[in-house]
Order: sequence, then structure tokens, then C-alpha cells
Amino acid sequence: MSALLEAREVSVRFGGLTALRDVNLAASAGEVLSVIGPNGAGKTTLFNAITGRIRPTQGAILFKGRPIHREPAFRIAQMGVVRTFQKTEVFGPLPLAEGVLAGALARGDTDPEARAREALETVGLQGKAHLRADQLSYGDQRLLEIAQALAAMPQVLLLDEPASGMNHQESAHIVRLIGELRTQGFAIVLVEHNMHVVMTISDRVMVLNYGETIAQGHPAEVRADPRVIEAYLGVQKTDAVAG
Amino acid sequence: MSDSTRFALATGLALLALLAVPWIVRNDYYLHLFIVSLIFVVVALGLNLIVGYVGQLSLAHAAFFALGAYVSALLFLKLKWSMWIGLPAAALLTGIAAFALGWVILRVRGHRFVIITVAFSEIMKLVATNWVDLTRGFMGLPGLQIPALSLPGLGAIDVSSKERFYYVVLAAAALSFYLCYRIVRSSVGRAFVLVRENEVLAESLGISAFRYCMIAFVVGAALAGAAGALYGHYVGFVSPDLFNFSYITIMLIMVILGGKGTLIGPVLGAVLFTFLPELLRDAAHYRMLIFAVILVLATLFMPRGIIFPLVEHLVPRRWRTRHVRAA
Repeated sequence: MSALLEAREVSVRFGGLTALRDVNLAASAGEVLSVIGPNGAGKTTLFNAITGRIRPTQGAILFKGRPIHREPAFRIAQMGVVRTFQKTEVFGPLPLAEGVLAGALARGDTDPEARAREALETVGLQGKAHLRADQLSYGDQRLLEIAQALAAMPQVLLLDEPASGMNHQESAHIVRLIGELRTQGFAIVLVEHNMHVVMTISDRVMVLNYGETIAQGHPAEVRADPRVIEAYLGVQKTDAVAG
Repeated sequence: MSDSTRFALATGLALLALLAVPWIVRNDYYLHLFIVSLIFVVVALGLNLIVGYVGQLSLAHAAFFALGAYVSALLFLKLKWSMWIGLPAAALLTGIAAFALGWVILRVRGHRFVIITVAFSEIMKLVATNWVDLTRGFMGLPGLQIPALSLPGLGAIDVSSKERFYYVVLAAAALSFYLCYRIVRSSVGRAFVLVRENEVLAESLGISAFRYCMIAFVVGAALAGAAGALYGHYVGFVSPDLFNFSYITIMLIMVILGGKGTLIGPVLGAVLFTFLPELLRDAAHYRMLIFAVILVLATLFMPRGIIFPLVEHLVPRRWRTRHVRAA
């Protein structure tokens, strides 16, 4: 299956600091690719480069074979590559129904309200459409972010730590939701620290450390990789996950 | 009753009351204040698109107002063009100037945006002051008139009296209000608000902040230019004083203390803050001091503008539009 989204030899440098070095990534429709790594490994920088928030210093990013790394952020989103953020981003004082319209409006949907309703239903927030976004609980705000992204009709969905700060029940809901989105044919790139979520939902896992890819493959292979254990998982944590 | 019907009904009633003003207000001075306040309604509605709807603090609005006044005045004096052609020409040229300026400055945000708009205003003032061959510098451009209005089937109508010019500015204010209403209620207006509330998020969902800020900036500036043309012909004189910082200050007060990000707020603000300094004239030397205290108190106790407490106390909940309810 050809990849919807590809990153080829992508490097990002901020002055003397190399945040990403020669990173390759490919995500196909109906697949969940998780990007993991310790804090500062370059995961969010990779998302920023893919979605046009920053320009790669070198390398190329392609969507359906077309280079997008010189396009502005809004155009990349209009093409079908949409993200959520590590720190929750919602349209503060606006009702949910208004904020979720954003993506549908940007795509010129003929019935943006219906698209927004559908997106809220998908994440289970339809009963709270009249509430202000900033009045929602943290967990609901994370779901709202996904609804906002879905209303933009993406083909590639980049989720930046969607389960962070959530309890076990909420994490399970996120896992189910991501699973449903995968079956609907979205290509999902997931950045997540919750190893239970990553190992449960991912088709492939990619590990970044100091801006470089140190491992990539099936979750079980990655979990057993000595370089990953040393850099990220740690012996104790590996045992815990395995247990 | 739907929001739109309620809004149309309220607007219709307000318009009827405004149509009756020249019959009720027989004092020339108060009629003058109504005319000036309606001109500033046009200005405030334009500034509100920029400050209130896309959330950019532009200090170039007074410069656009003055630019419109100069364009129409120069067309009238140098080319003998009627104000009825000069007015749309002023709006058009001011819009083009805003597009050129916006192309550069709408790529930056925060203090950089504010400072460049101040610099633009100062440059425009220097041009108006020093290009003496064209503008007569500090001496300004006197001799502006309000020409008769030719309407098909009605012939030439003299609108130079205060009573009749009042209707000209009322029509301009009503048209500006309708234009802003249509923009704000369209998908463009929804995008304005989304950009204002969270620009990074809006962009990440496919909304071009630059594009929507540009639309607000150009339309807002064009309205200021049209208002400037009306003002220049009404007072009969334009000078570099129109570029003074006091103008942008009062425009911002009208929008922010009126209720930025609402349609009615800046209209109320324009009327209130045109009348208030004049009504305080009896206080002689203390006039501006009292005005300043009122501004401070209004800012402290009505931070979202006078429109919200007014709606809260005077308009039944079921009559409020969903936007006011949400706010």
C-alpha cells in the first residue's frame, strides 16, 4: 500500500541545535503509526514540520506524493493533513458547535453545521455542543480537539499526546476512538507517552532519540530493541509493560 | 421568533427613531452632534472588524480616515469631482492603501504590528504636512462643499443643510451597519472570530489568518476612508490635524468601551463618546477630567463594553441573539 504521508530525510535545525536529523516516516491509510521517545526527542518538532508550523532545514515531506514542506500550515490542513496539539488548543469562549465548524468552513463544506455535528457525535460530545469549550473538563477538551480535526475532513490525522493526563477509563475511550478512526481509513500518526495506549493501538512504532530515529517496526519488536530500552523504556518499565 | 427576525425588528425600530431625529431635534448644535456621531459610527464599525472581530490592534485607522478625507478633498478641489464620486473613490483608494500596508504588516503580530501601524500614521501625517504643493501643508484644504445629490427621477436634491445632510450620513451609517452585519453573519465573519480566539489552531484546521485579517483590514479601512470623505465635506476643511493621535484614541474608546466584537456596541460607543465630551461642556475646565474619570470607571466596571450590561438589564433573555447569549 502506498503511503499517504511521507517524510524523507527530514532535518530541522534551530541555530546550532539539531532537533531532527534525517528522519524518515511513512503513514498509510488505515494504519496507526506511533512516534515515541523521551522528552526533547523531536516528536513535536516532527509534527510541526509536517504541518507547516516550521520548515524543514533539509529533506522533503510529501502528501500523496506531492511535496508539502514549503506550503503554509493552513494549506496543508486544507489538503488533508490535520493535527492536534500537545498542549490542548480549543476556541476558548466559543460554544463547541462554533469551534468545530472551523475545519468544515476551511474546506468549503456545503453544510458545515452537519459536518460539525457529525464530528462531535464521533467523539461523543454531541450533548455538550452548546457549552463553551473552556468550560469542558480536560478529558473532554482532548476529545474536542479530535472533533475539531475530524471536521476538517483529514486523510492524515496527527495526534499529539491525546491520552496525556487522562485516567484509565478516559484512555480506554481514546484507544477505542482511535481504533474506530483507523477502520474508517484515516492514516493516524500518534505521539504518546502512555505505553499501554501505544502498544495496544499501534500497527508500527517509531522511536526518536535526540532527533534521530533509533528504531522502527512492529510494537513487539520495538519493545524488545535494546537501544529503545536503554534510551526510553528502561529495564524496569519494560518489565512493567510486559507484565 | 428567530434571531434574524428579532434583529431585523430591533434594527427597523431603531431606524424609525433615527429617521425622526431632524423633526425632534430642532437645535442646530445637537443636530451637528448627531451628524458627527453617525460619521463616527461608520468609522467605529470599520475599526471593530479589525480590533473586535479579528483581534488586531490597528492604530492606523485614523490615518485611513484622514486619507479618505484628503482623497475626496483633492478630487473635489483639483479635479472638480463631486463628493458623490469622491466618496466611493476615497473608500476605494483607502482600501487599496490598506491592502498594500496589510500585505506587509499582517504577517507580524503583537507589538510589531501595533508599532508599524503607528509608523504608518506618522508617515502619512508627514506627507500631508510636507507635500505643500498638493496638500497646502498645515494650512489645509478649505472650500469643500456638499454638492446636490442627483437621483434618477427626482432630479438634483440639495443636501447641504444640516437636516438633509443628516439623512446622508444616516444612510451611510445604515449601509455600513448592513455591510458589517452581512460579513459578520457569513462564513467570513465566523472565520474572523475563530482567528481572533485561537489563530494557531484556526490555521492548523485550514483557515488562513492572513487572508481573513486582510479582509477585515481592507473593509475596515475603506469604511474609515468613506467616513473621512463625509467628514471633510461636512466641516468644509481638511488638515493634517486629522492624523493626530487623539483621533485614534477616541475611535478605540468608541469600539472597546462600546463593546468590541459586537455590532451594536461600537454604534452605541460612537454616539455616546461623541455626545459625552460635549454634554460636559458646562463643567468648563473640569470637562476632560470628568471625561477621563468616566473612561476609567467604565473600563474598570464594564471591561467588555457598555453593550453587555445594557443587554443584561434591558433586553429579556429570549430576545437576545445567540451571539450575545454566548458572550
